[in-house]
Amino acid sequence: MRHLISSFLLAAALALSSAPLRAEDAPATIRLGDVGFGFGTPFGVGLQAIADAKGFIADEFKGSPTKLEFTYFTGTGPAINEALSNGQLDFASYGAVPNIIGKANGLDTVIVASYGGTTIFGAARPDVEIRSIADLKGKKVAIQKATIIHWGLISALKGAGLSEKDITIVDLKNADQLAAIAAKSVDAVFGADFLLPLEDKGLARIFYKSSDTGATGDGFGAFLVTDKFRKSYPEATQKVVNGFVKAAQWLGDEKNREEAFQIWSRAGTPVDVIRKSNAGSSLRDKYNPRLDAFFVARYKSGIAFNLEQKLIRRDVDLDAWVDRSYVDKAVASQKLEAYWPDRGTTGSVKN
Amino acid sequence: MSTFEVDLHLSLPGKASNGQSAAPRARRLVATAVVVALAPLLLLLFWWLSAARGWVSPQVLPQPAWVWQTFVDLVVSGDIIAAAAISFRRIAEGFLLGATSGFLFGLLIGTSRSADAYLGPTFRALAAIPSLGWLPILILILGIEETLKIVILAKACFVPMAISTADGARNIPAKLSDVADVLGIRRSTRFFRLTIPAMAPFLASGIRLSLSQAFVSLIVVEMLAGSDGLGYLMVWGRTLFQLDIVIVGMIVVGTVGFLLDLLLRRMEKAIVRGASAHG
Repeated sequence: MRHLISSFLLAAALALSSAPLRAEDAPATIRLGDVGFGFGTPFGVGLQAIADAKGFIADEFKGSPTKLEFTYFTGTGPAINEALSNGQLDFASYGAVPNIIGKANGLDTVIVASYGGTTIFGAARPDVEIRSIADLKGKKVAIQKATIIHWGLISALKGAGLSEKDITIVDLKNADQLAAIAAKSVDAVFGADFLLPLEDKGLARIFYKSSDTGATGDGFGAFLVTDKFRKSYPEATQKVVNGFVKAAQWLGDEKNREEAFQIWSRAGTPVDVIRKSNAGSSLRDKYNPRLDAFFVARYKSGIAFNLEQKLIRRDVDLDAWVDRSYVDKAVASQKLEAYWPDRGTTGSVKN
Repeated sequence: MSTFEVDLHLSLPGKASNGQSAAPRARRLVATAVVVALAPLLLLLFWWLSAARGWVSPQVLPQPAWVWQTFVDLVVSGDIIAAAAISFRRIAEGFLLGATSGFLFGLLIGTSRSADAYLGPTFRALAAIPSLGWLPILILILGIEETLKIVILAKACFVPMAISTADGARNIPAKLSDVADVLGIRRSTRFFRLTIPAMAPFLASGIRLSLSQAFVSLIVVEMLAGSDGLGYLMVWGRTLFQLDIVIVGMIVVGTVGFLLDLLLRRMEKAIVRGASAHG
């Protein structure tokens, strides 16, 4: 009881103390959250992890008293929504499905950049005849529901002329998915690159890779700021986005590819697996931070998915949620318009 | 383990309960109810206050009124009743399996020194591993279906039941055993007339501990590899950032757990009283 009261008081104190002061001067700390993996000190596997490891955002604040705090949440999307709601974060990078859920439930987030794409894999038991998405009909498939992987599976099914009624979905966390397919409890699993080692061990066969069907099959997400932070510190917000865009440009340079894989491997996935997962894709295209027509089309599909699956109870106004000004300014000031030309809704570059 | 055991002694210290007239008894009952309800009411007040004053985010700790509305919605739609039915059926099955086998195993290591020497250390080592650690191996063996959940719940019930039974078997008064030896009572008579009554208090606390362990494990099991039941309802509520659903689940599990514990404590007291009257 006393413990409960003290933790309530602590939560209350945190909520009060984290409200930034209404002042024009630079913030003392900027807190950035990302999805994390790994044992001990978790780390990220996306654009924000690169910005952290290479100090791109920190460089923007060089000479100022502002400190950066990066937190990687192994509790993934739901944990980031809670941290944002508790006022423990100013910026966050996470998948579209949970951040749409957060927005629909009243979080005051604003999308300031795209975090790019994530490759989604499908792995099947070697003794079951599954060579394509169409073969999933009547099969049992494990995924973690209410994630971008869930969106990926449903859109892949639609693309193959199937619906979720044609398969049985089992909601399992990553580690349990591996155990379930090894135990032959499910016929297939959908997930990120953590599925790749299964093939080497002979436990499963990779039959689907989202990037093979073009960028529209890849997972997606965004880099968001709280509206409160954006209003209190417009300049600092711009600086953070500048650093984020610089990280994306660095990542898009082919000569940095191996170093980036090394950085991501800090989250626990071996470099070989990361290399294999990214084989054949241009990191410049994959981690394009722009909020263009392609991004909007992706997010519209995400919102429609969330509504269809009843993950959210009300619609989200995407136009009001996205603020392009920061990323556009960063791209213009760094003269990167030609590096990342405008993409159409299907991901192809507009002429 | 101890988190679940709300150590509320549901009677105020005072006179013995025997031979009391109706009026003080009723007064005592009211006083007990006030003492028991005080903490939850204060908590509710604090909750309401922190929501009303905006001390915590409304998404993370929704107002009591919203949670009540969610509870009503979940009852009307039948969701919570369906989830509770599934969860309680799992507990019942796991308990029957786990407590029965725990009783038999406890009897074995409690009565036979060599069985204890051979099996006791292994049992104690395995018992110390939490259910969570077993999960990947159990999924490999049992898959992800209902059997997995029942086995984990049964394991949770097995351990305290076996320990209590073994303690009970070791603590049968030596005098009673001596008398039975002298009289040359038949084994079955001895078991039902001497062993079981002498162990009754230990068995009662074994049952109570087993059930409370089953409750703790239930949520873990349904959170990890479930797609239904109260535990899953709570995880799903958290995923959807609708923490009102999570709080409703917490209140339902807490209330049922408290009532069950209350009932079993009463039974335990009655049994202890009965046993001491016999002895």
